[in-house]
Amino acid sequence: MIFTLTKIELLKIFRKWRTYIGFIAIGLLVPLLHLAMYLEGQRSLELVTRGLRDSFILVGNLLNGYWISYIILNALTIHIPFLIALVAADLLAGEATAGTYRLLITRTVSRMQIVTSKFIAGIIYTISLVLFLAIMSLLVGLLIFGTGELIVMRPDAIIVFEKTDIIWRFILAYSFASLSMSVVCSLAILFSSLVENAIGPIVSTMAVIIIFVIISAFDVEILKAIRPYLFTNYILNWREFFGNPLDTGEIIKAVTVLCAHILVFFTATLWIFQKKDILS
Amino acid sequence: MLSTDIVIEISRLTKQFKDVLAVDKLDLNVFKGDVFGFLGPNGAGKSTTIRMILSLISPSSGSIKIFDKDLLTSRREILKNVGAIVEKPDFYNYISAQKNLEILAKISGKEVTGKRITELLELVGLQNRAGSKVKTYSHGMKQRLGIAQALLHNPELIILDEPTTGLDPQGVKEIRDLIIRLSKEENKTIFLSSHILSEIEIIANRMIIINKGTKIVEGEVGKLLNPNVLKVSIEVDNTETAVNLLQTTVWVKNIESVSGKNINITLEQNDIPSVNKYLVENGLNVSALVPVRSLEDYFLSITSNTR
Amino acid sequence: MIKYIITILLTFSFNYFSQVNKPEPILEKVKEEFNKIEDYQVDVKIKVDIFFLKMSDREAIIYYKRPDKFHIKSEGFALLPKEGLNFSPLELLNSKYTAFYEKEDTIKGIITAVIKVIPLEGGTDIILSTLWIDTKRNLIMKVESSRKPSGNFSIDLDYLKTSEGYFLPSSMMFTFSVDRSMLPKGFDIGNDSESVKTSTDSKKPKNGTVYLEYSNYKVNKGISDEVFDEKLDKK
Repeated sequence: MIFTLTKIELLKIFRKWRTYIGFIAIGLLVPLLHLAMYLEGQRSLELVTRGLRDSFILVGNLLNGYWISYIILNALTIHIPFLIALVAADLLAGEATAGTYRLLITRTVSRMQIVTSKFIAGIIYTISLVLFLAIMSLLVGLLIFGTGELIVMRPDAIIVFEKTDIIWRFILAYSFASLSMSVVCSLAILFSSLVENAIGPIVSTMAVIIIFVIISAFDVEILKAIRPYLFTNYILNWREFFGNPLDTGEIIKAVTVLCAHILVFFTATLWIFQKKDILS
Repeated sequence: MLSTDIVIEISRLTKQFKDVLAVDKLDLNVFKGDVFGFLGPNGAGKSTTIRMILSLISPSSGSIKIFDKDLLTSRREILKNVGAIVEKPDFYNYISAQKNLEILAKISGKEVTGKRITELLELVGLQNRAGSKVKTYSHGMKQRLGIAQALLHNPELIILDEPTTGLDPQGVKEIRDLIIRLSKEENKTIFLSSHILSEIEIIANRMIIINKGTKIVEGEVGKLLNPNVLKVSIEVDNTETAVNLLQTTVWVKNIESVSGKNINITLEQNDIPSVNKYLVENGLNVSALVPVRSLEDYFLSITSNTR
Repeated sequence: MIKYIITILLTFSFNYFSQVNKPEPILEKVKEEFNKIEDYQVDVKIKVDIFFLKMSDREAIIYYKRPDKFHIKSEGFALLPKEGLNFSPLELLNSKYTAFYEKEDTIKGIITAVIKVIPLEGGTDIILSTLWIDTKRNLIMKVESSRKPSGNFSIDLDYLKTSEGYFLPSSMMFTFSVDRSMLPKGFDIGNDSESVKTSTDSKKPKNGTVYLEYSNYKVNKGISDEVFDEKLDKK
């Protein structure tokens, strides 16, 4: 039944036009970033390698599809949550707004099945959006800019990855990004279960993310202490896959924390939804 | 099932929202084959009750048994045999009517064939618009689609919440005819809520009137709404003699109750003067003879109060 | 200004003692030896060892044409110290300089003359270079330079005799001081506290090395100018 319900949820998601806002946004934004990189990429690359260029001569194609995909993923992991929330916040609240809870819940499906299928469908949407970002930035980027070594600037190091040592890192990085975006998706669904209109959950999800990011940015002892408990702190940890050697401990920790968040948000949604009186 | 089988058995059902007592210790029985009128003014607690029957709202206390099974424990088994329209008919607007029905069929708990969907769309006269998105539908079309989705899985019990609201007279008639057909030809049990007494009078065989969440009266429509029979309260100095005298007359249908100096009887309106004359001629002092308001009058008064 | 002070100081300190071994002829011989080479092409293997830079060994081809044309061609990304690509005695010795003979020294069993060279003309960051010159083969075995603003560097060289009979480096080892100024600042905003900690530790300059291994020289076979037309620093 979960399988059938998930299929139905996906059908509903992909029949709604708001679903395509995310794809359109990425479909427009990424080529725009490509264009900007095409025009200005060399300059920004020179800017980040200026320290090196003072003492060294650099040869080779560093302004390649990999580097651009890395920059794009870096830039967009803060913005994609909005596109996720846009759809995920509507998953439960949208049924309330449309009055279709009454169609759904008066059938022989349990509320747990409904919530579970919505989570699965929401996460599938999230993954497909990240996948679309991967295709747009990586595949199109490689077509435009070609391949090359990937130069990664970390706070403590500059790492140059061999051409043959990059793709798997991106695959894992996009997978990790899907996971962290799934947390955003789960949070939006949780908020979505509380109200009867999608606007509130979208705004609340973004507010939570923005507040968490701000807390993370402040170097105050008291805020530092709570930082490890904020899931936003782990959103950018896909970068760990561009470490050499991989900090597997850090990666496992981040994956565990993110999975735990999804589980907590899911359980909370379930609890709220089980008790919810459908008045819409 | 026997004809006296109880399909819906509600006892002491209560729903307390934060500061509103929407349903208050409601008792109600719907029998197999009934077209059961669920009557009450707007805000009487009809929708809340229907939502509790359909597990959209959980009761604060009391119990709901359907097909002799407890709703709390056998929800899915029960809903497999229940079709419903709750309030206004809402669908996934961005999907076609056909697709909406296909989706709902998949989660109805029974095998629903494509043929069945086509038949239902024909039944409600939407076969030509089946491929159109629901958002292009008029209210009447949605209402008819609502009927189609309620019948989708051929349920034994059909719950219709104000199914004729917002329809033109022709639409109202079509739906009423359909309900009568479902009851007579397919022997469905129909639970029909309405705030219009005349509608219930036309379609239903049994009914309940509720107001402010509690039962006012429950019974057979024919008995409750007989227009010729009137309740009259007679005030006399000697009730015992009066009762004895009244029992011997042909006019009095029933002596309902005696309290203090008052005797409540039912009789036909034309016979009131004769009863009065008869009592006075037999030496009783009739100080008052007041027709008690009819159910219809009562219902009109509560519905007009709430508007 | 510093240059002049050093010049004056050195003039006083060395000129007196180094009457016997005039530096200029030694340097001229080095120049002459190198001038025999019209052009060459060589495969180079690059090993970089800088604490903040993680990259695998690289391979490239270096093209040279007299007097000062250089080109590096690489399949992929490669990184060379600025002094490493266009290292030739000519660069230093073709412009005006003052030189002082300091002493004799032995490097890897080879007796060398130690000569200090001070460039007098602009266009170079080098304030002072010390050269260890194999006077038998007229080859520079070691260089230590003071450079503004980024400190000192040294180059250790080994030579091979090419099939054409020329002496050209078989390996060069650059040692230089590196610091975090080479890292882009404020690039990685999302850095966590741990990496910030390490950054304070590594504020002190450390030594970095780049090791170049040359092989497969092709000398004086003629190289078209077009090879050098591409911009040196390929985008």
